Amino acid sequence: MTVFADTPGPGSLRGKRRGGSNRRDYRRIGVPGPANRGIKAERSAYPSWFLWPAFAILGVFFLLPTVLNFVYAFTNWSAYHDGVDFVGWQNFEALLGNGDVLIALRTTLIWAVLVAVLQNVFGFALALFFERDSRINRASRAIFFIPVLISPLAIGYIFQALLKPDGALNGMLGGVLGQSVSIAWLGDTTWTIVVVSIVQSWKWMGLSMLIYLAGLKSIPEDVLEAAKIDGASWWRTLRSVRFPLLAPAVTFNVATALLGSMNGFDTVQATTKGGPAGTTEVLNIFIYRTFGQGLYAQATTMSLILFLVVILLAFPIIWALRRREKQLL
Amino acid sequence: MKASTFVKAATLAAAASLIFTGCATGGGGGSATNGKAVWNEPTASLEGVTLTFGGGAVSDAGLTQVMDAFSEATGAKFEKVAYPDPYEQSLLTKVAVGDMPDLAAWQPTASQLTTLQPSKNLLSLDDAPWLDDLDPAVKDVTGFVGDTRYAALVTSPSVMGVYYNKGLFAQYGITEDPANWDEFIADAQSIKDQGGVPFYEAGGDMWPTQWWPQVQLAEQAQDGLWERVNTNEEQFTSPAILDAITEYKSLIDDGLFNADIKTATVIDQANAVLTGEAAMAVQVNALLLQMQSVSDTETIDANVGWFPISQDGNIATSIPDNKNGVVAFHTGDAEQEAAAAQFLNFWMTDGYADYIEAANAVSIKPDVQSPAGVPEVAKLISASLGTSVGSMQSLAVANADLYLNMAKMIQGTQTPEQVAEATQRQFAGLAQAQGLDGF
Amino acid sequence: MKTTRLTRGIQPILAILACLLVIGIPLYLLVITSFKSDAEAQVPDLSLPTTWHIAENYGRAISDGDVLGGLFGSLLVTVPSVFGVLVLGSAASWVLARRSSKLMGLLYSVGISGIILPPAVVTMVLTLQSLGLDGTALGMIGVYMGMFMATAIFFTTGFVRNIPVELEEAARIDGASPFKVYVRIVLPLLRPVIATAAILVTLSVWNEVFYAFFVLSGSGASTLPLNLFNVASQSEYVKNWNLIFAYVVLMSIPMVVTFIIAQRRIVAGVTAGAVK
Repeated sequence: MTVFADTPGPGSLRGKRRGGSNRRDYRRIGVPGPANRGIKAERSAYPSWFLWPAFAILGVFFLLPTVLNFVYAFTNWSAYHDGVDFVGWQNFEALLGNGDVLIALRTTLIWAVLVAVLQNVFGFALALFFERDSRINRASRAIFFIPVLISPLAIGYIFQALLKPDGALNGMLGGVLGQSVSIAWLGDTTWTIVVVSIVQSWKWMGLSMLIYLAGLKSIPEDVLEAAKIDGASWWRTLRSVRFPLLAPAVTFNVATALLGSMNGFDTVQATTKGGPAGTTEVLNIFIYRTFGQGLYAQATTMSLILFLVVILLAFPIIWALRRREKQLL
Repeated sequence: MKASTFVKAATLAAAASLIFTGCATGGGGGSATNGKAVWNEPTASLEGVTLTFGGGAVSDAGLTQVMDAFSEATGAKFEKVAYPDPYEQSLLTKVAVGDMPDLAAWQPTASQLTTLQPSKNLLSLDDAPWLDDLDPAVKDVTGFVGDTRYAALVTSPSVMGVYYNKGLFAQYGITEDPANWDEFIADAQSIKDQGGVPFYEAGGDMWPTQWWPQVQLAEQAQDGLWERVNTNEEQFTSPAILDAITEYKSLIDDGLFNADIKTATVIDQANAVLTGEAAMAVQVNALLLQMQSVSDTETIDANVGWFPISQDGNIATSIPDNKNGVVAFHTGDAEQEAAAAQFLNFWMTDGYADYIEAANAVSIKPDVQSPAGVPEVAKLISASLGTSVGSMQSLAVANADLYLNMAKMIQGTQTPEQVAEATQRQFAGLAQAQGLDGF
Repeated sequence: MKTTRLTRGIQPILAILACLLVIGIPLYLLVITSFKSDAEAQVPDLSLPTTWHIAENYGRAISDGDVLGGLFGSLLVTVPSVFGVLVLGSAASWVLARRSSKLMGLLYSVGISGIILPPAVVTMVLTLQSLGLDGTALGMIGVYMGMFMATAIFFTTGFVRNIPVELEEAARIDGASPFKVYVRIVLPLLRPVIATAAILVTLSVWNEVFYAFFVLSGSGASTLPLNLFNVASQSEYVKNWNLIFAYVVLMSIPMVVTFIIAQRRIVAGVTAGAVK
């Protein structure tokens, strides 16, 4: 039994589909859909005051800071002087003219893509591997979920200890190879970003696994029976029947892993602090550092750039994933 | 429905502008005090007063002692506010929105003090009663922004210099401290030729890398290098600084450093010099502290020596750190400000002898003896301050991330020219934010 | 058929191996190092401790790292945030899922945007300051509710859309008020999805540290991850892995226990659903 097996798939990542899909569902089961009831009846049955508390919280603690981001990015707010004046595009010019931000942005993108790919590959492989409901598999799923429960900061420290040049991993490799190994896993300017992505994926693959498992379990038996009767092999059934039916789970997992990692901080901070030579310095570490130098407006501008990049990525990615769902389902 | 959405949007916009203007006027509101510290008797009663003291998570025996003693003498209470490291960043976050402690441990250099907007946020310590009792050699070394003293120096400031292993020097036939840079490098070359490791650098920790160019620049710093950098007459890309960076790079390329320079840490560095794995390390007092944490005074005295080095001689470069200085904040509450100043006064007068004993540090007051457990090296370092010159951190108006760029050079991703360019770009950005002329 | 039987024979062995190697080794390193002396923990490896320092290390972690203060702070922040997000979020989701105007579509998009959009950390501190909530548990709760409301809305709205509307209509025809319909009819049906959302939000809030840095550091309030960061930074150069890891073990226990309990409840919920 899985944690999410009872969730009939998460909601839509897009807002517009809702009315239409509802109407279709109700027509099918032969009862009048909401659209047939008229707006007035709908409003009195589902009053707006149910919405306000949640949206008040969202407004003050999520939207307002975001709006302020757009304001303060155009000012000279800093630790060095009183008062805040508008300076137009100056912060953007300074930051984009300075290669460091673009490098941090590139690092962030590489990191997010690596995490999204690795976490989903690991998670999907685990879901297939532990699919059958045996006692060992059920226990294994729970065990693979443990890293999800532990704080990313703590995970970072564990792997820092594991991956030190004189750490446990090199010790084990040395034991296997019969000679001393002192690879600096977290000290390589090319590969450390991959190592840290693997650590992040290790932490979250249990969650991806459960979501894929929930998806696999929700595939109707008759579909699989039909494939079996047609004589399709396990691999063929997976490729042309089961994987396509997992499209909503793929959408959710890929979108949240990719876009969530854009806002990453703690695992990187706890393993490398952005090093070696800044090759793992994601944007949030850069923001934290800039803020520490007292350049508040610049830190705000970077935060805004991050926000805009995530939006720019989110629309095409979610659009593409949703289109894929429609084509497959 | 439309109307209520509009009202909501308008409310949001109003709230936004409220916050914006609130901050634009400085946030502080009218303040009853003028930013100059008031000096009461060190032991006057402070029953019912609670002072907040900001600092990092690193525990400090000396600080704990002096707080306890002050509480005992005056009845004041302390609330230690530990910010996550690097705590300077966290503390700045709070100061940015007007949320200040009464006191904080702070690096007393001009560049670091400037980030706190001292004229607005800090108490001036110009008339502090203990100043005349300080060792003249260190009294005015640091703690100023412009001509105003904003930080109290509580221990002997950190100094950049060369730590060496005495046994190895004897083994390789080096009997005298090198008298200038050329002799220093010649000694290193000789050690290498005899099969030893001359220098040990902790590239994995990154920050020690910035001492190498700075010690080479001591004479030029005396000659006003950083003042010229502050006015943009010279840059990090000018020959003076760029050459010092290039020299460091060429020493690495010549194989004068430990093989694991990219990943070694300060712990490794301290062990290497202490045990004779490598002959020398250019470092600040932090290295000695690390040695003290793994060894005892006797062993350190027997194995480790120290000398300052510069291009043409032996001028030391001083770099006070966040354990050397304390600032008091201009919170606008006269009672709290007076109590904070009184604590500093107690610390540096009545309480100083016990403090320096608990901190096991070199005294900066001639009438207070340094504790017996202080290593010889610490005394050498303190003695070098008389003829020392300020570091980049002390004399430049902003502290650009020179060390991060240097670390990239060690990792092989940047050339000395790129290090200089990147550092200059950051420096100019910080100078611009301060509104300095020439940027 | 042959291959299936073969893989069925090998699969359990491989499963156990995967658990041991992939999850077991890091967790073993975590636990075994937390039992070691200061000196042995300097270079953390997989060997057994020569002398066991369990009580000493965990005692020091509790006193030096202020585990109890952190636990109190974490509970103080997590419980109201999760509760608030679920109560307010599921109520909003019900209306969002049932009403079909364009405005609702827009509100839904705004409501779930927080799942992928990064909250603005710098200006968040400013907002809290102007509300007088900076450095307070209440401010932190607000920030977390703002951050994770999206998760609750996203999951519950998707779930509500799959609940047939007739149940509610029957009650409404009997004259029940919307509030009654929601509490008596809808809320009980939402139990499984609320459990799922509760796990996700609890996990996120309990382990969050980046925003806590900005909001809580320097105030009296603290949380377990913030204290962990302090424990790990206690000495500038040396990492006392034994203490850090003792702390990690202690702070992870509540989550692991919660997980076991929550998983059982969900399993029960699914079985009940299958019987219907």
